[in-house]
Amino acid sequence: MTELHFSDLRINEPLPTVSHAVSQDTIDLCAVAHLDFNPVHTDVEWCKTAQVFGTPKTVAHGMFTMTLMTSVVLRAWQRAGAFVNSIDAKLTRPVEVGQTLRCDGKVIELHPRGPGQSFVVVGLTAVNTQGDTVGVGQAQVTIPD
Amino acid sequence: MGIKRLENFMTTEKQRGFETDFTLDAAVYEVWDEIEVGRKAKAKQTFLIKEEDILSYNMSALEDDPLFVDPTAARAAGHDHVIAHPLFAVQIAFYCIEKGPGNWLRSPGARNPGQKMHFYEPFRVGDEITLTTTTHDKWVRRNNYYLQDRYDYHNQDGTLIAVWYATLLLPRDRAELARFAAVSGEAS
Repeated sequence: MTELHFSDLRINEPLPTVSHAVSQDTIDLCAVAHLDFNPVHTDVEWCKTAQVFGTPKTVAHGMFTMTLMTSVVLRAWQRAGAFVNSIDAKLTRPVEVGQTLRCDGKVIELHPRGPGQSFVVVGLTAVNTQGDTVGVGQAQVTIPD
Repeated sequence: MGIKRLENFMTTEKQRGFETDFTLDAAVYEVWDEIEVGRKAKAKQTFLIKEEDILSYNMSALEDDPLFVDPTAARAAGHDHVIAHPLFAVQIAFYCIEKGPGNWLRSPGARNPGQKMHFYEPFRVGDEITLTTTTHDKWVRRNNYYLQDRYDYHNQDGTLIAVWYATLLLPRDRAELARFAAVSGEAS
């Protein structure tokens, strides 16, 4: 998208999907970038015993899921001048290593506020390979006039 | 230090100097039943944002837009540096808190139920971020022990850049935390 105007957006307008496989390399890269080295993400042997989420496998960072949910908005609209004001998400299920994470978004609220102030709310979902919901949330995004 | 293979992904000075074994020193982490709501503290250290820090976060987000991952392309497009993914705030928080006040964020055995974050300004290279942590709430639901801190991110001018209501389900007490920390792993 090269141009983005608040007046062009409609309720239920979908944003392009963001989808990524979650390998241990993906999780490790994330651990290093977040500086979150909780063993539930990175320590394969620890997870076999601890089973924090009831699985012997490592799980992706919840913040990775939220990052990709936010990326749905960024990849669609960042270049056109949108600004993410907030993200509010619930993580409903762990994402085990080996899953593919798919994140979708659509416009669910329009807030016309005048020059430079108008914003939308984007409803966001994240699902795993089986189609189980792993995250739901909303992003509030300021949109150019 | 912790798991050796993680070093392959380290690209920044901050990452190379960071303790990666979160089970180490867990005995000093704050635990749910000892933390009081309203406790306010300045995080252990500030975060001077370098472009390598932002790049690292954007790469982990699997971004491929040159504005996020290619400094040359970002400058050619009129930006001073690559654009920071807003959730870069996560890296800043873990770095600033480290083993100081708010260190429960590192707890082995913790679970992430979801988060709320507000962004007022973009994170910019050269900003020195000071993080203030305030224990916002703690509650029990379905036998799970939730703790929530509010993190305020201010730059060197005192401008509020972001707020994160960081929430985790934590081991309830020191004994439970110690049990998770004692589990043998690759980092042992």
